[in-house]
Amino acid sequence: MRIIVPIRQILDPRGFTVSRRHERIFVNREEYIINPNDKNALEVALRIKDTGGAEVIAVAVGKPRVDDALREAMALGADAAYLLTDEALAQTDAAGAAKALAKAIEKIGDFDLIITGQETLDTGDAQLGPWLAEYFGIAQVTNVREATVSDGALRAKRDWGTGYAEVEAAPPVLLTVAPGANKPRYPHGGRIMAAYREWEVTTWGAEALGLDAADLEPLTEGRGRTFPPERTLGERLTGSPQDVAADLVQQLRLQHVIK
Amino acid sequence: MDFTFPKEYELFRRMVREFAENEVRPLAKKIDAEHRVPFETIKKAAKLGLMGVPFPRKYGGSGAGETGYCILMEELGKVCTSTATVIGAHTGIGAMAIYLDGTEEQKEKYLKPLASGEKIAAFALTEAQAGSDAAAIKTRAVRDGDYYVLNGSKCFITNGDIADIITVMAVTDPSLGARGGVTAFIVEKEFPGFSIGTLENKMGIRGSSTAELIFEDCPVPKENVLGQFGAGFITFMKTLDIGRASLGAACLGGAQAAMEAAMKWAKARTQFGVPLAQKQSVHFAIADMATEIEALRSLVYRTAWLIDTGQPHIKEAAMCKLYGSEVASRCINRALQIFGGMGYSREFWMERAFRDARIAEIFEGTNEIQRIVIASNLFRELGLRIAP
Repeated sequence: MRIIVPIRQILDPRGFTVSRRHERIFVNREEYIINPNDKNALEVALRIKDTGGAEVIAVAVGKPRVDDALREAMALGADAAYLLTDEALAQTDAAGAAKALAKAIEKIGDFDLIITGQETLDTGDAQLGPWLAEYFGIAQVTNVREATVSDGALRAKRDWGTGYAEVEAAPPVLLTVAPGANKPRYPHGGRIMAAYREWEVTTWGAEALGLDAADLEPLTEGRGRTFPPERTLGERLTGSPQDVAADLVQQLRLQHVIK
Repeated sequence: MDFTFPKEYELFRRMVREFAENEVRPLAKKIDAEHRVPFETIKKAAKLGLMGVPFPRKYGGSGAGETGYCILMEELGKVCTSTATVIGAHTGIGAMAIYLDGTEEQKEKYLKPLASGEKIAAFALTEAQAGSDAAAIKTRAVRDGDYYVLNGSKCFITNGDIADIITVMAVTDPSLGARGGVTAFIVEKEFPGFSIGTLENKMGIRGSSTAELIFEDCPVPKENVLGQFGAGFITFMKTLDIGRASLGAACLGGAQAAMEAAMKWAKARTQFGVPLAQKQSVHFAIADMATEIEALRSLVYRTAWLIDTGQPHIKEAAMCKLYGSEVASRCINRALQIFGGMGYSREFWMERAFRDARIAEIFEGTNEIQRIVIASNLFRELGLRIAP
């Protein structure tokens, strides 16, 4: 069983603050992390590996620093990692990145599952999963919370409104994992050391993937940014705890937050 | 000269910090109040290789060296001194003695289960009449065929009652004294004649256990002699030297956490119409703390580098322990003052940190002993030997 996990590296949101008033983003600490939802996806893959055995391969597109995200993925349990980077790949958009990932997955070879996070925390994109499923012409299961493989069949539990739906599919299948679907494991200390000192990340540029500049031309264009309006100070309720609680309930009722 | 941490250490710190925040901090108050060892944390730490951070991967450790181990201790020191103490006594001295001087067979048999956290270690040197004067130990080991029979008792042994494997120092030839007459042994808790005596009821680090160990005609197989016969004193001193650097790292974490908490409090707490953070007396306290913490950080990680690169480090390790414990006590004391009444309340952790910090000036060689180690090393460089 081979599982491909595309991951994305994002700026750690704990390291910056958004000032609505100044319409600016203040980066206090420029640190990068694996997109949390992709960590959920990797966790789903690693649990399949833990129970039935699997080869888990992490793939990412971006700047050279994305290497750190892939090494962390290996420390967490991925068996191999591929970084798709060069000047063109570092600047492409979601569609270009999806193309590059698709080409890389083809180049890696046969696979049984592609498991990725449903959305990215930074840009709010949620297109990679469907894009890859379409490219490979395979079934996709979205909003996945858990997945297991037995006797060659994939069983996935997905969010279904107020409950869950259990679906079965025959690989190859693409899964997009719901944000917060699980609590990702911590990497093992020894694997962290090995990820940097012993193991390699394979690097491919656009040319190695058979892509040229036109393929990676961004489809989207940034025309500026706006900030949500500054939040106004709420109303402060005072009095005894009983009075405040009663006041609060009444206010919430008046504003139709509760019935 | 490059003062940046290699990337593996950055990721390692991030992992350890998240582990400390999510798994260790929520239990810190509870284990102190209940006076119990956090076995659930040890189990989780073992799964992540955190019970054998400095040891090579081939022995089941993380292969992160003293630098990695100091990072672990610093991050644990920020949230729970008790947990740092349990893991520190296990890794930094108990298992470390076997790593430094054990034979391949001993490492295979004892270091592996210790580094993987399957078993717990303790380090037994101190006795009722021999603490700072380590050479005055009375526990005897007498050869009897393929065994050495141990008789005597040890006191104030961290992890003593929870350890599976204990490195013990005993007199093998009283006529030779410390140099030549003392040998280190590896004792398993199942050995006949070994028992646990009284447990200490301590002021701080109450989430760690401190026990008396009793040896009554306890037979130890001769292959459990640790290091060279008669050279136990050297094995133990070498071990303690390394342990002192990481103890300094735990103190660094404690000091840093106290300062950060004091700053947050000073920002939020208003008196005389302005936040405390606007008061110059608070600025001076914070500036002094930050400067000492920065100096300690440089000292700790430079010493870790000396150890990892196989360079002499005895003097620097003693400085880590001496300066680290004093900086921690000072910073926590000053932070507590900024907190005022809140700092004194059991509701908040500063009171616990204050009690916990005090032990670092005492255990693993009192600060007075550290000063002697530092001075005697300095004078040795001038060709003068100082008698302890």
